[in-house]
Amino acid sequence: MSEADATGGFGGAARGDASLSGNPALVGQEAVRLEGVHKSFGVLEILRGIDLSVAPHEVICLIGASGSGKSTLLRCVNLLEPVNRGRILLWGQDVTAPGVDENAVRRHIGIVFQSFNLFPHMTVLRNITLGPIRVLGVPRDQAEEAGRALLVRFGLSDKRDDYPDRLSGGQQQRVAIVRALAMRPGIMLLDEVTSALDPELVSEVLGVIRELADAGMTMLIATHEMGFARDIADRVCFLDEGVILEQGPPRQVFTAPVNSRTQQFLRRIVDAGRL
Amino acid sequence: MPVRGSRGGTYLDQQTLVAAGAPAPGSFEGNGRGSHLLGGQRAAAVSTVSTVVFIGGVIALFVFAPGAAAVRHTFFNPQQMKQAFLGDPSKGLYSVGKGLILNIEMFLIAEVLILFFALVIAVLRQLRNPVLFPFRMLAVVYTDVFRGVPLIIVIYGIGFGAPALYIRGVSTQSDFVYGIVALVLSYSAYVAEVYRAGINSVHQSQVAAARSLGLSQWKSLRFVVLPQAVRTVIPPLLNDFISLQKDTALVSTLGAVIEANRAAQIDSSTLFVYSSYTVAALLFLCLTIPLARFTDRLIARDVSRRMAGGATVR
Amino acid sequence: MRKTFVLVIFALIGLGLTAVASSASPASSSKAASAVLTAKASSCSHASIARDVYKIGSLTVATDSPAYEPWFSNNTPSNGKGYESAVAYAIAKQLGFSKSQVKWTVEPFDASFAPGPKKFDFDINEISYTEERATVVSFSASYYDVQQALIAMRNSRIVKHHTPADLRTYVFGDQIGSTSLAFINTELRPTQQPSVFNTLNDAKSALQDGRIQALVADTPTAQYISSSEIPKSVLVGQFPSTGEHYGLLFAKNDPLVACVNKAIATLKANGSLAKFQKEYLGIYTSVPTIKP
Ligand SMILES: Nc1ncnc2c1ncn2[C@@H]1O[C@H](COP(=O)(O)OP(=O)(O)OP(=O)(O)O)[C@@H](O)[C@H]1O
Ligand SMILES: [Mg+2]
Repeated sequence: MSEADATGGFGGAARGDASLSGNPALVGQEAVRLEGVHKSFGVLEILRGIDLSVAPHEVICLIGASGSGKSTLLRCVNLLEPVNRGRILLWGQDVTAPGVDENAVRRHIGIVFQSFNLFPHMTVLRNITLGPIRVLGVPRDQAEEAGRALLVRFGLSDKRDDYPDRLSGGQQQRVAIVRALAMRPGIMLLDEVTSALDPELVSEVLGVIRELADAGMTMLIATHEMGFARDIADRVCFLDEGVILEQGPPRQVFTAPVNSRTQQFLRRIVDAGRL
Repeated sequence: MPVRGSRGGTYLDQQTLVAAGAPAPGSFEGNGRGSHLLGGQRAAAVSTVSTVVFIGGVIALFVFAPGAAAVRHTFFNPQQMKQAFLGDPSKGLYSVGKGLILNIEMFLIAEVLILFFALVIAVLRQLRNPVLFPFRMLAVVYTDVFRGVPLIIVIYGIGFGAPALYIRGVSTQSDFVYGIVALVLSYSAYVAEVYRAGINSVHQSQVAAARSLGLSQWKSLRFVVLPQAVRTVIPPLLNDFISLQKDTALVSTLGAVIEANRAAQIDSSTLFVYSSYTVAALLFLCLTIPLARFTDRLIARDVSRRMAGGATVR
Repeated sequence: MRKTFVLVIFALIGLGLTAVASSASPASSSKAASAVLTAKASSCSHASIARDVYKIGSLTVATDSPAYEPWFSNNTPSNGKGYESAVAYAIAKQLGFSKSQVKWTVEPFDASFAPGPKKFDFDINEISYTEERATVVSFSASYYDVQQALIAMRNSRIVKHHTPADLRTYVFGDQIGSTSLAFINTELRPTQQPSVFNTLNDAKSALQDGRIQALVADTPTAQYISSSEIPKSVLVGQFPSTGEHYGLLFAKNDPLVACVNKAIATLKANGSLAKFQKEYLGIYTSVPTIKP
């Protein structure tokens, strides 16, 4: 783990279940902290000063209209997009500083996208063990052992040797989550993981996320599933045109939003029958 | 599962078009709609009759044309075809069959080297590391140059140029070696582009997914992108290799490699008949047709797989 | 509907092809038709010849391009210089054609023996007579008796060592389509396969670069190459005759052959051929012979 040491070492935390996250908690540290993060694509400024901190074990849901910048924010945290201004700290360490090994940072962050997640040329088990074997250097038999255990735990053991195109969308997304977990990340970033799914497949995926939350996984979740956000989130952040307009416990944001834009957004959601 | 995204669109669409537009074997009207309208049986009857008429016409041409006997003597003389196939040293006749072994050898050796070398070129063009910039430039120049220059000139340039340089180790190789080097240089430029199209056809999200696991750029390429890219490009690659099989014949211009085509040329000019060419053509067909059918099968399989997938994640 | 249409098209194509094929012989060449009438062509009067030629009123003579020295001069067959050019004009004269009635046309060697009507009356292109070739085309009597000769670079071992046993150890090369290649394979029988090039020029550059050690060509060509074309090369010597000779190439059973043979016999008898050989190939008389 020499690269991890070089970047100062990243600590994750697991409240109830140590098996899901491998890194020991750094007590009192914020898991993630964003300070004045700006991100533009050309002249288009997508994130316009994001300040956000995520405590260990905290589950934060990002809500907001399409195009408001939720995905961009998550991609910035994972260093898939370089930020233009501001800092991002993971467990107290500035990962946007020059010279940081982004691969070392990423192995502590699990991310699941809306779609195109799984590697179609690999079986489920190979998808899951690729990271541990090729990035963490875990011996194959150990990695497969751990992978099998995770698959059993999330009810996917019979799919172990299938290729992704034989799986339903819900199963694929669950495998994608398991694959991220196999890296024993300190934090999980979930980007609308159910929005490409047929409605009847949504709940099985949400069930898995709920399980993670119960296990104490720190999570940053971009979602359009408001009911789910209300259930699971410790805190809800409303993102609008690149800034966090309003945040707070779900009860407050959903039932008594302060900001008029938030009210507008939620009214549209209610009208659409999605809350 | 639609893992191949829009960036590879044009390239893949071409393939799909080729596959979709190819007529069904054994009928001149591959369009299933037509047979529906006419009724399957009648369509089958019509296509049979038209096939018979066509083939019959061609045969008639070779049997009844005024010059048919001369053409048969020159092109299809069984005695001389046998002689050309086996060769006859006492008459100065070369064996086309033996020559073909050289074609196959050159093809196999060149193919392996091309697959490897082209991959290196394609990957070099793909890596965005600034340290590698000069190599990237070199790769671009290389593909531009060798795709543009006709193979025969490359063969001449290497086979006649290298010995004239009098460089130890370089200038004393055999024509066989020079020929293979020329084939590899020329074909790698094409194949590198095929690889590149394949790499670009792998959706960006796959790269993102790989990088997000902490895989380096190289490892993402190695374990995630390339395996998928190679799978996509196998049919077009095989296509290139069909023409490589034929182009091995050009190496004979260097002199010392008496492959099938050159042997046929010599036999033809010795006996004043073209039957030896017929033998060479038939032998080349024996090599290329199986590969062509195999390619068709792969394309068909690829198409049906892509049709079957794509249902799960929207 | 569409099927019927397609069928009709096929039928039409079939008919068309047959029509073209059956009309081919009378229309395209009076020569092909007259080829059958060999017996009739015993008269070699200019009048009867001029009616039977490829283009009425002229004698069409073919050769390849480039036309090599010393058989031609300056790659210009029509200048009457060079051995073959001179012979062609002399034969034409015997047949009653004036110089201006001789028309030259380019015929690649490979095409000269293709089946179908010929586009010339005869082809003069250093083509050796062989029995097999004569089953496809007709040859005139010899207008030049060929001996093969050996060219090598001046400092090569072969210059001093060329016993039959020595000769088997060298790397030879030649141009495709030449009987010299057959000579190498059947008479010299080297252990290493000779290289075969598209053109004589490729073979020459291979000799210069040391990719082959020796080149075999007919003696006049060999002498020209060694004296004028490849610096530091020498004509090692010529081989004894194998009875090989050059003949004019005609369409199979062309009645003109008999008349041309008469003309050649006359030119031999009156010393014209010897005179041309002295004039154009004359510098090549004193060549050492390599003992077989
Ligand atoms: N690579 C990029 N280049 C240019 N523009 C981009 C890029 N990625 C995202 N954008 C733009 O940034 C804006 C925000 O995109 P983002 O995906 O972050 O929104 P989102 O909140 O996740 O929306 P959704 O709910 O539809 O997923 C959009 O207008 C999008 O077009
Ligand atoms: Mg998004």
